Amino acid sequence: MKYLVRSQGFGATIGVIAMLAVFTVIDFSGWWTIQTLSNVTQFTAILALVALGQALVIMTKEIDLSVGSIYGLTGVAFITLEPSLGVPGSLVVALLIAAAAGFIQGTAVVKGELPSMIVTLGGLFAARGIIYVWTGGSVHNFSPDARTHALTRLLGGELFGVEAALYWVGIVSVLLAIMLWGTRFGNRLLATGGSRESAESRGVRTDHVKTTAFVLCSLLAGFAGILTLCNQPQTHVTLGENMELEAISAAVIGGCLLTGGRGSILGVILGALIVVSFRYQLIALGAPSSWYITFVGAVLIVAVIFNQKLARFLGHSV
Amino acid sequence: MTQNPLIQVKNLDLYFGAFHALKNVSVDFNAGELIGLVGDNGAGKTTLIRVLCGIHAPTKGDVFFDGKKVEKFHPKLAIDQGIETIQQSVGLCDNLSIARNFYLGREPVKRILGIPFLDFAKMREKSSRVIRQFGLRENVSADDEVERLSGGERQSVKIGRAVEFKNRVVIMDEPTNHLSVREREHVNELAVQLKEQGLLVIYITHDIFQVHKLADRIVIMENGEKVADASTDSMSAEALEDVIRQGGRVVEKEAV
Repeated sequence: MKYLVRSQGFGATIGVIAMLAVFTVIDFSGWWTIQTLSNVTQFTAILALVALGQALVIMTKEIDLSVGSIYGLTGVAFITLEPSLGVPGSLVVALLIAAAAGFIQGTAVVKGELPSMIVTLGGLFAARGIIYVWTGGSVHNFSPDARTHALTRLLGGELFGVEAALYWVGIVSVLLAIMLWGTRFGNRLLATGGSRESAESRGVRTDHVKTTAFVLCSLLAGFAGILTLCNQPQTHVTLGENMELEAISAAVIGGCLLTGGRGSILGVILGALIVVSFRYQLIALGAPSSWYITFVGAVLIVAVIFNQKLARFLGHSV
Repeated sequence: MTQNPLIQVKNLDLYFGAFHALKNVSVDFNAGELIGLVGDNGAGKTTLIRVLCGIHAPTKGDVFFDGKKVEKFHPKLAIDQGIETIQQSVGLCDNLSIARNFYLGREPVKRILGIPFLDFAKMREKSSRVIRQFGLRENVSADDEVERLSGGERQSVKIGRAVEFKNRVVIMDEPTNHLSVREREHVNELAVQLKEQGLLVIYITHDIFQVHKLADRIVIMENGEKVADASTDSMSAEALEDVIRQGGRVVEKEAV
């Protein structure tokens, strides 16, 4: 219990409990149905993967605004390269593109000593531009062969009635948690976010740590894009638009402090669940989709205030 | 036979933009020597040792370590060469536990299925054992975050760490700040012990009288320049204090 309260994800845990209670009492459209839960968890899993990568970057005290565009670009690459490379080949190349995007942005941030907000804003526009040029604005589909390919099924199918994305987010979050709290790299990543100068003075190559975080973030965003397309193999130019904002919201609601060095894997997943649930409920209510952004904004602000109060209560310097 | 100095600083200049922080500084530091580096605030003491531990690269001039010219300045390289530094304001990450801070940059690992995981048992046990000698309270656990520690306890983590990983050089920047009288004596004894083990100890302080009792040699800095460099046998603490009081100008000629 003490561990739970001290964990950065505590605020999001309370948030999820409160949200589920409200949705149970004021049930607009059958919240506790298989259909709703399956949709919400599928979208949550996808957003959580993007947000987990974002969380790594935020924990190093940087930010990555390009994840939505990288998500889209990787997905587009995966679909459009498939006819010439096959499913496994295009999967590898698409992920390499994502990793390269993360590496270029990370290197620009650490070598150029530039604010990551500006560099990745550039990345957001650049990658979105490439999507427009590459697809020419047209919609691309997988061939029937590619749809039934074993790898496509593994990434986008379902097992025991549960979408593949849920298993993947489970695997990824366990691996990330072990990496963050149980390895040298994790210790150095948290140290870099906590105090870059102090970490440097102990011989930590904070430039390498940050670049690696950006690469992992882009890889996870790209992987999420691929999972989405394996489930519904159709690209459009707006794939992943505004996703960076949802991902940052999920990470921050999940207890990642923008001051760096603190975060929670479970919190980020719960944060994604909150964001997606609100979207789903508003759509179910028949509210105009633009309202959804307003709601996410409001939830985000409430969450930040709550997490900050909680951190102060626990005696952290924020 | 005189041996080569372990660290030799030659005609070092350092600018921060237009600010001339170090002016043509040349000093030799020998192994097995305890050197007091003394001067007022802003004299350039900390800047000089920040060059030695790889944080700043000099604008002009050279640093030789063990006879070899230092080409690249990075804290990692300095640590790899065996230079441990206890710095005043940096060195601890508030968000991490004592054990994690203690081993930051050289975490011990235990392989499970070939994958290197942090060896938490060792990190906890060793770090708390070492740091307790330097005034960490019994009720503080190695899992507690550094953020919760008092100034003295933070200092004890840094000192314990430097002692544990000591190699060839230990640089102490105001090591006794925030410490109680007894802890201060312990740190001072320790500085002498390290020297007797053949290490080079550079001890930075304001307090000439305190360091005069410990050191073999005193280097005084003023406005980014070295203004005195004398063995403690040849100059009394009072005489050295005069040097500092008069900004190094008047007595300098007598001292050298």
